Amino acid sequence: MSETVLHQHKWIDVVKYRWVWFGLSLLLIVPGIIAMVYSMINYPTHYPVKVGIDFTGGTISQYSVKKDVPNSEIGNLRTKLINAGVENPVIQVLRTNNTISKAEKLNTATVISVKTAFKSNDKTAEQKIANVITADYPGAELVQVSSIGPSLGKELFVNSLYALGLAFLGIVVYLSFRFQLDYAVIALISLAHDALFVLGFFSILGIFFDVHIDALFITAVLTVVGFSNHDTIVVFDRIRENSRFLAKKATFPEIVNASVNQTLARSINTSLTTLITLGALYLFGGETTKEFVLAMIVGIAIGTYSSIFFASTLLDWWREKQENKKRGAAA
Amino acid sequence: MKNKKIMFWMIIALTIVAALIIIKKPTKLGLDLVGGSRIVLEAQTTDTIAKITPDMMSSLQFAIENRVNALGVAETLVQQTGEKRLLVEIPNVSDPAKAKEFLGETAELEFKKPLDGKYGATGWISSGLTGKDVKKALISTNPGGQWVVSLEFNDKGTKKFGELTSKMVGQSMAIFFNGELQSAPTIQEPILGGHAQISGGDSGFAYEEAKKMVDLLNAGALPVPAKIIEESLVGPTLGADSIAKSKTAGIIGIGLVMLFMLLYYRLPGFIADIALIIYSILVFAVFKIVPVTLTLAGIAGFILSIGMAVDANILIFERTKEELKAGRTLFTAINAGFDRAFTSIFDSNMTTIITCVILYFLGTSIIKGFALTLIIGVVISMFTAITVTKNFMHLLFGAGQLKHPGWFGIKQSEIGKAYEATETKKEKAKFGILD
Repeated sequence: MSETVLHQHKWIDVVKYRWVWFGLSLLLIVPGIIAMVYSMINYPTHYPVKVGIDFTGGTISQYSVKKDVPNSEIGNLRTKLINAGVENPVIQVLRTNNTISKAEKLNTATVISVKTAFKSNDKTAEQKIANVITADYPGAELVQVSSIGPSLGKELFVNSLYALGLAFLGIVVYLSFRFQLDYAVIALISLAHDALFVLGFFSILGIFFDVHIDALFITAVLTVVGFSNHDTIVVFDRIRENSRFLAKKATFPEIVNASVNQTLARSINTSLTTLITLGALYLFGGETTKEFVLAMIVGIAIGTYSSIFFASTLLDWWREKQENKKRGAAA
Repeated sequence: MKNKKIMFWMIIALTIVAALIIIKKPTKLGLDLVGGSRIVLEAQTTDTIAKITPDMMSSLQFAIENRVNALGVAETLVQQTGEKRLLVEIPNVSDPAKAKEFLGETAELEFKKPLDGKYGATGWISSGLTGKDVKKALISTNPGGQWVVSLEFNDKGTKKFGELTSKMVGQSMAIFFNGELQSAPTIQEPILGGHAQISGGDSGFAYEEAKKMVDLLNAGALPVPAKIIEESLVGPTLGADSIAKSKTAGIIGIGLVMLFMLLYYRLPGFIADIALIIYSILVFAVFKIVPVTLTLAGIAGFILSIGMAVDANILIFERTKEELKAGRTLFTAINAGFDRAFTSIFDSNMTTIITCVILYFLGTSIIKGFALTLIIGVVISMFTAITVTKNFMHLLFGAGQLKHPGWFGIKQSEIGKAYEATETKKEKAKFGILD
């Protein structure tokens, strides 16, 4: 077996430079971890990232307006509110003709409801909203202000984390059944590597650029985790296959190198096609999903990196350690 | 060859049926895209509950969330507002009238003892056994053919019920639901098995009545009574322009992906593009059949699942190219390409499915929707990217030789130089390799 497989030109020797990749991974992840720890200590919410209204709740203000508000005006109003310094407002148009509460009977047909992360006693913030709305809809009247709780409260958030933990356990069980336990654990480490990077990245964005995450962000992280796992398994599958055929002719590091290089075109092309779609969504899509898309772009980039350079070399390093231990025991 | 032609026409027929479903059935869109109803619930103080505490409000929110989930009302938003109110937003598709009917019900189940120690002619007193002790409620029929509600108690409830019935042999035990007496059977003997039945008195329950009670009991009682105080129609959270923009972006993105596949993989890329169109049609049809309530997150998830579908084809084509470069005939290269890529496609998709199933059953509303769309996408992509593409490739190329390497995006000079696979005898037979 052949020279052609183990020594081609255009060959990346991933195993040889493994300390470079481990170092690079640390460099990518540590700043994010620092940012997350900082955030957990300093933010009143104690979340590792700056969270938006979905997690914190805020205020709901309702303005009755004299004319009907078509949906096409919502985007415009949202932009104006953001320009006035109101963060991530959620705007909805209510038709309250069937209001059943007598005490709060509203005679107007249309109400603009604005949910923001402000505290309900923040008068200056309230004024900002009022200014924008009365400028566009003369005669608009504030009919109701009240606090609003999180739609994704801490309890739900923690429950979701438990679900995720269980899902990870499922992955490990399946992979150790189909591959081997060390493949499974390393796939999980590589997955945590990617999730931590994305969380850290947004934690840093939160500190320096005041970027808030919303409930959609959780979906983005889940997608990233899924993709990263896909990538890692494709490389591991090739290592598994090559090990079967090459075990007697090549060393494990050589097999890892061959496998990474054989799957390289696939890894890059798959990420490329996904990044093309995401790039289009980022550049041409709506404002509201920008951060969601950004999280996925960052996650898929790191997922591709980790499957090529991190997971495979980590597996090789682990196998080498086991080998040395065995040899040590034999001697 | 004959089988392949039958398969081909089956794929075409399936696609046409799916396309018809898409045209006929309306799409269910979520709150963010089309809006729905906004209902404000207010917690009510009672004789026993003098003040509404924040703790009560969070358990009320939890109970209401459980209840809308039990109803199958997808993508509902429940938020606390003010000190003792809950704001519930329900997408239009989920029958707000039915949801409303369920929201206000306290669903308080109570077992009561007779004051006079026999029939309760002078009134009933609480026995301490309530809906909280119920593990599960089921709808069933009694020997008389009437609809009844069967209860299964949890461990604590089983013990309580056993003790009560042991002490109360010969007496009646009354079952109250929402303060109304449902039935008061006489206890013949101690019941230790942890099961009980509620019959609707002499006339029995109507099916709807029993079903509603079961749904409410399974979703759990509200810790405090709540009343609907406001109800209005609510518009989408995303403006029409934002939705239109995302649509355009999605179309541009998919178009670019298809162009990439065509340029890089040539003829197989073209086949993959057709498979991708079939994939989109099938996925959307399934979304409508299930039905999946589409939100922006769901649509983004769908666009991403296209990425996973394309990935399967990239894996296969890269593998086919390797085999061709190793000098295989076209037929064996295609077979080997599909077969070798299959394990990695299968294993990676299986982990995705495992994750999604767990997230679907344990996750919160937004995660549930995401998991559901992803499971549908992954399962269908295995069909289109593997079965459909393979079928088309075989029909197009037959058992012929590779005459135009350019069709596969490789050069004549590359053939015979690169990767060299080692086959087992079994594989050789499977791929049709002749030594």
